[in-house]
Amino acid sequence: MSLPYSNCQGITRRHCLQLGLKAGLGLGMVDLLKATGRAEGGKANTSCILVWLDGGPTHYETFDPKPMAPKEIRGEFQPIATKLAGVHFSQHMQKLAAMADKLAIIRSIRHNQGNHGAGNHYMMTGAPPRIPVGCGAFVSFHPSLGSVVAYERGSSQGLPAYFSMPSMSRSGGPNFLGAKYAPFVVSDDPNGSSFRVRDVALPEGLDGTRFLERRDIRSQIDRLKRFEDKATGDPVLALDEYYQQGVNLMTSTAAQQAFDISQEKDQVRDEYGRNSFGQRALLARRLVEAGVPFITLYEGGWDHHTNIFPSCKSRLPSVDNTVAALIADLETRGMLESTLVVVLGEFGRTPTINKDGGRDHWSNAMSVLMAGCGTPGGQVVGATDRNGYSAVDRVLSPENFASTIYRKLGINPDKIYHTPLGRPAHLVSDPTPISELMG
Amino acid sequence: MTIQNLLLYRLISLAHCIMGLSGLMLWDAREARAAEAVKVLPATVSLQGANARQQLVVLVGEGNQRVDATRTAKYESATPTIVQVQPSGVLTPVSDGQGEIRIAAGGTVTTVKVQVTQAKVWPAVDFELDIQPILTKASCNSGACHGKARGQNGFQLSLLAFDHDFDYAAITQEARGRRIFPASPETSLLLAKATGRTPHGGGKRVLENSDAWELLLRWVAAGSPRQAKADVKLEKIAVEPAVMALKAKGKQQVLVTAFYSDGSQRDVTRWTAFQSNESAIVNVNDDGLLSAGPLPGEATIMARFMGQIATVSAAIPLENGPPAQFYTQLPRRNFIDGLVYDKLLTLGHTPSTSVDDAHFLRRAHLHIIGRLPTPDETRQFLADSSLNKRDQLIDRLLERPEYADFWANKWADLLRPNPYRAGLKAVLNFDHWIRDSFRQNKPYDQFVRDLVTAQGSTWHNGAVTMLRDRRTPDELTTSVSQLFLGIRLECAKCHHHPFEVYGQDDFYSFAAYFAHLGRKGQGISSPISGGEEVFYSRPVGEVKHPLTGEVMQPKPLFGTTPEIPPEGDRRVALAQWMTADENPYFSRVIANRIWADLMGRGLVEPVDDLRATNPPSNAPLLDALADHLKQNKYNLKALIRAICTSHVYTLSSEPNERNLSDTRNFSRRYRQRLRGEVLLDAVTDITQVPDNFSAMPPGTRAVEIWTHRTKSFFLDAFGRPDPNLDPPCERVEDTTLVQALHLMNAPQLHQKVTSSTSYASQLASSNREPAAIIEELYLLAYSRFPDPDERRVCLTLFTDSPTSRRRAVEDIMWALVNTPEFIFND
Repeated sequence: MSLPYSNCQGITRRHCLQLGLKAGLGLGMVDLLKATGRAEGGKANTSCILVWLDGGPTHYETFDPKPMAPKEIRGEFQPIATKLAGVHFSQHMQKLAAMADKLAIIRSIRHNQGNHGAGNHYMMTGAPPRIPVGCGAFVSFHPSLGSVVAYERGSSQGLPAYFSMPSMSRSGGPNFLGAKYAPFVVSDDPNGSSFRVRDVALPEGLDGTRFLERRDIRSQIDRLKRFEDKATGDPVLALDEYYQQGVNLMTSTAAQQAFDISQEKDQVRDEYGRNSFGQRALLARRLVEAGVPFITLYEGGWDHHTNIFPSCKSRLPSVDNTVAALIADLETRGMLESTLVVVLGEFGRTPTINKDGGRDHWSNAMSVLMAGCGTPGGQVVGATDRNGYSAVDRVLSPENFASTIYRKLGINPDKIYHTPLGRPAHLVSDPTPISELMG
Repeated sequence: MTIQNLLLYRLISLAHCIMGLSGLMLWDAREARAAEAVKVLPATVSLQGANARQQLVVLVGEGNQRVDATRTAKYESATPTIVQVQPSGVLTPVSDGQGEIRIAAGGTVTTVKVQVTQAKVWPAVDFELDIQPILTKASCNSGACHGKARGQNGFQLSLLAFDHDFDYAAITQEARGRRIFPASPETSLLLAKATGRTPHGGGKRVLENSDAWELLLRWVAAGSPRQAKADVKLEKIAVEPAVMALKAKGKQQVLVTAFYSDGSQRDVTRWTAFQSNESAIVNVNDDGLLSAGPLPGEATIMARFMGQIATVSAAIPLENGPPAQFYTQLPRRNFIDGLVYDKLLTLGHTPSTSVDDAHFLRRAHLHIIGRLPTPDETRQFLADSSLNKRDQLIDRLLERPEYADFWANKWADLLRPNPYRAGLKAVLNFDHWIRDSFRQNKPYDQFVRDLVTAQGSTWHNGAVTMLRDRRTPDELTTSVSQLFLGIRLECAKCHHHPFEVYGQDDFYSFAAYFAHLGRKGQGISSPISGGEEVFYSRPVGEVKHPLTGEVMQPKPLFGTTPEIPPEGDRRVALAQWMTADENPYFSRVIANRIWADLMGRGLVEPVDDLRATNPPSNAPLLDALADHLKQNKYNLKALIRAICTSHVYTLSSEPNERNLSDTRNFSRRYRQRLRGEVLLDAVTDITQVPDNFSAMPPGTRAVEIWTHRTKSFFLDAFGRPDPNLDPPCERVEDTTLVQALHLMNAPQLHQKVTSSTSYASQLASSNREPAAIIEELYLLAYSRFPDPDERRVCLTLFTDSPTSRRRAVEDIMWALVNTPEFIFND
């Protein structure tokens, strides 16, 4: 069996359903789907783009350089000044450093889950794994941030409420909320010239006219009796509803246009970066415009056990560029006030550089970037010690992190769900958001 | 009781009071003809102590016609100096003596004797017996509040008061003793928070001057004793009435009585938590008042008081049901039919009609071998004129080789671990072992014994892979009890099970059966876990109780197990106990699983959650199915044959006016969406374009795949378990947007329909007439002939041009695959 490996022990997760794009059927708007709207208060129009750097991005080489640490800890990169007096980033975070006044960097989230499976679960759901899990594990004990947002907020314009690109994340699933709230996975590469979202676009070789003809044929031969009375619990009614939603998605201009990244000006596409990650970030912005409340961009390859410096040197500038372009673009369009951008991974990395020139897993310290959605920019929350061993000042938990995201999206993190078995499950066990980020 | 009667009664009562005449007797004589049977619960009352209290429940009428008059009855104390009665029917003591209460209801007056003792004496307040019920009823120790694992704001109680010592220490000793202040009990944090005097995140949970408040106050003032009476324990609770029929929108008060080890009993209705399993059918409020909804149906109401559970079953029959004779005349093909009809009679439902042969053929094929009949098979079956052709079909299907893979595929969801955890080779071996068991039609009890007592190498005996995956006695306890007994012990690992009788003692005594399991070789090192591991029994190892540290001896959840010889494998004793005829869970849970697979719904749902608080919709039927298994030595095929040859198996999904709302009693068929693998294989059969699964030989069918990790967008969309979840995984039959889109637009599907090797292409290039092609397509997808109108609609798509002919065939094929008649087993 050939299965691609993505990092030290992980395997890229199955792709739930990847989609491919567009078709521009131009058939006009069909009934738009109604948002389910469980969220409270006036934050129903907020969205989150979560950039997950899978593997655990180093805090030293990104937002928490330690120039005063001994050589075997501080590494090869130099700190650079940022727009904030006295705040330094590592040398390849140039564009973000130049817009540090718009960013909040949290340097003091720490937890106790030092392997990928568990760390991903903790940060992706705000709940620690219930039983010890192995490094290569893909586990789910609690609904992920995105699934909860999909459940609470729903979406409009026929689009799913939770996207994950290009794959589902390890613990990014819905758990007890049910398959309806799993992410809609777009695995296709929007940087490719033939980008299409699978299953939302017509398959190659089928044109719009024939699609419509088939739809008509289907409606004529579909003779199975429906039992309209709700008391019968006829499951065919649900299929009908989803079929109609699917047709709407196919024929909704708004939905199809959201996927049609080719409508962007070349200049904008260049700014985001002509690479898969850059174009996915741009696609995420388009989805936010179309009303999607949660999008995960899942970027593998941050598990730097070996050769961390050459690897970061080649990868960081493009991530720096794309995230900076995304934030700048959102601001230009007046969307930053309602769109939260988050950049993180499952943990930070060990202080001492190992024999292979890499750093290993380290959950005592990590750096997280947040911007937008009312997050006061130009601040650094908390700090690690002089050598970056551990968060020491304003120590925060993954629960605080998750609660911050939920609050910003208008969801009360203190609520209690009940699993299908009736077990009460706190959305977040410590529902205290990070006050500095709440504005 | 009519208004006139009531007025008369009041008038006479008045006369009785004024003149001292026996007016009631006069009234009784006059109204004798209108009087109905009245039953008062409890029949006799004894009130002991100043805080004693008893709710009365008044029932009027008989059998299914009985109604609750508790809230409409008029109560009067004949001895107001001894006992008082509130208008709601609650009795409280005044002074010692023999008292009497008169109750006017149902056109008659009933009396209840009341024995009052120690009316002026406040009994000493006991932590376990008095205080813990208050904290529980006020939800202080609920899983959402202080009862959760980390407590709430620094105050932690055991969940639902399962650990009295822990809670006593938390209340009396923690927080530097501030929670309790005997000199000024009101200012104790416990009371100040509970009443909301001091800001409390949980709000006001106890009202000042309420009974609960007074008890708390007295307890604190008395120095918060751990025990008031030596060793009095709660033994059981009982709820009355326990079985009832309600009218639509009717109400019924229930009464909960606690029985203690010193022989005393108390009305604990107000301290009891109630929960309905079908609150839309029958709801229950905090006081134990049941309210029926507008629809007929059934519900079970759980009453829970301090770890003790009792249940009430309430039915709302459909009014004006047919007479019993109607049901005796219905077709009965075996023991199943009568038991289903018995239940339908009690609810007034009538069964739907039977389906035709084509429908039956498709249904049975999908249920038994997980694939559609071929057009030839359908033609032959429809043309067959023998009377018992349906029974013959079932027999034939049970002998088909596809049977084993289809049923093994279901068990794979429940047993087969993630290969990146347990290792590819171990999982592949396990998959083979499961399939081989079904191929042999291994008796189910043997199948389970082989698994539970498995030993040897993961490279040679696939059955040990379950032990490799579930590596600790705890983990094995959870999965073995749930899978094979339908008992969910997981809760009892950390706290007393909230809906069950099981506590941590039970959990860890069960776990002790796995304590002597030894391992050699290479353990789990995900994601490869490639090494060989050998499992064996050895006389060392122990399981300890997590709170007491006590080494637990193996003990079954109920009943007894055979003596375990000193060097013997404890698991052998466990497996014997599990699979013994006396174990009521083992046979019922497998009977329920098979019933659910074939009938669209379990008699118990979820299928592996058998407990008193989640009773079967038809207990005699479940027992009969379980007995059938036992009598036939756990031959699963024999049970499948029995179910598929019953009359109820043939019922149509189309409701009639008397079974529209029946979703649990099998008066009609409940539609099932095809499993992902079955659906994909059906698409493959129709298009004749096979899939190409990685690590499987060409031509492999989806039901034959050995791991859920095998890539398939189709199977992911149609709800196969997430390979990252641990088994057991129950499938969700939901339909989703992703499924609808996938059938509509998936490139692979499009490819299958339109490829040059597709059956659509073959049909188009054949010299068959359009009508014959249409017939073939309908037989393929729907296993039936098209009706004239369907033929006509499809024929309009065929014109003379050869390209349009192929296009027409493809489009019809695509359209058929996208309709519910194809996607569902109806």
